[in-house]
Amino acid sequence: MGEFKVFTIKKNINEDNKKVADETREYLKSHNTYLINVMSSPGSGKTSTLVATIEALKNEMNIGVIEADVDSDVDAEAVENAGARAVQMHTGGLCHLDATMTRAGIDQLEVEDLDLVFLENIGNLICPVGYDTGAMKNIAVLSVPEGDDKPLKYPKIFGKVDVLIVSKIDVMEHFDFEMERLKERVLKLNKDIKIIPISSKTGEGVEAWLNWIKEQVKGRS
Amino acid sequence: MHELGIVFEVIKVVDGFVKENKLTKVDKIVLEIGELSQAIPRFIEECYPAAVDETDYKETKLEIISLPANGECNICQEVYNIISNRKVCPKCDGQDFKLISGQEFNIKEIVAY
Ligand SMILES: Nc1nc2c(ncn2[C@@H]2O[C@H](COP(=O)(O)OP(=O)(O)O)[C@@H](O)[C@H]2O)c(=O)[nH]1
Ligand SMILES: [Mg+2]
Repeated sequence: MGEFKVFTIKKNINEDNKKVADETREYLKSHNTYLINVMSSPGSGKTSTLVATIEALKNEMNIGVIEADVDSDVDAEAVENAGARAVQMHTGGLCHLDATMTRAGIDQLEVEDLDLVFLENIGNLICPVGYDTGAMKNIAVLSVPEGDDKPLKYPKIFGKVDVLIVSKIDVMEHFDFEMERLKERVLKLNKDIKIIPISSKTGEGVEAWLNWIKEQVKGRS
Repeated sequence: MHELGIVFEVIKVVDGFVKENKLTKVDKIVLEIGELSQAIPRFIEECYPAAVDETDYKETKLEIISLPANGECNICQEVYNIISNRKVCPKCDGQDFKLISGQEFNIKEIVAY
């Protein structure tokens, strides 16, 4: 039996996550692959937005998707049918992805030939926000039925993301939802955010979103 | 659960340290968790056994040191707990403070050989 000694580590777990995330970004850059982290509540329209995006852009670029939101592979199947390569992560009840788990997804997907990869994060407006996944850009999806007061309740996510997609605008007339009120609340938290209202059902607004994506992918190298 | 992912990360970092320093057995892991960090000590303790089960750390003990959410008053320099004082300085009633602790999530040390 050896003698136990105390080893001081003083390691900040978040810093370690940041390190893995930075390594992921370097790795992706070396393969010219652009990663976008997509966050929202469950059911707000992440998969539908991705399906519309893939269908529109698949002839221009190779797209991959890391699905982490649900444990079954329905979402992975949907984006594959739309024309992307997909992997399904089994997150077994976790509420966020960190950089290490994201990296596992990236390695499983094999991104070498991909121009653009989406990470469909776990449906949750709180936990994923605290973790750098290694993505180049972070976006959130907020659907009209969730209400225009969400930024008041979950300020952190709106303060952090680069783009906010306001989804399901085709059902706006049935809800007490005011786009101007939402924009005002969001801009107060984040003056640099880009807000893009869309409907994956009617296609309204999707063009503006596609343009943003194309700009990012074009400027990646 | 949120904390489970965090415990996996802790184990990964400890495992890296163990391999790097060619240690053979870890008796205890000591964490420092701030009151304002993303993790709740009780939940960390609850999911820890499940996270280390079937790993080399099955018998490793876990100790958690909780760090208070302390702020220093920018007006009178008093240091006070911002949670129990609801952000208001108990000495001068000021609400302008600088956070000095509470957001930590550190692996402080391990006891090993
Ligand atoms: N009316 C309408 N429904 C939508 C729209 N986008 C998604 N949905 C519906 O919302 C539900 C959840 O969408 P999904 O994309 O799976 O959300 P996720 O859980 O965030 O991936 C599905 O029933 C979709 O058909 C939209 O633009 N308009
Ligand atoms: Mg989905």
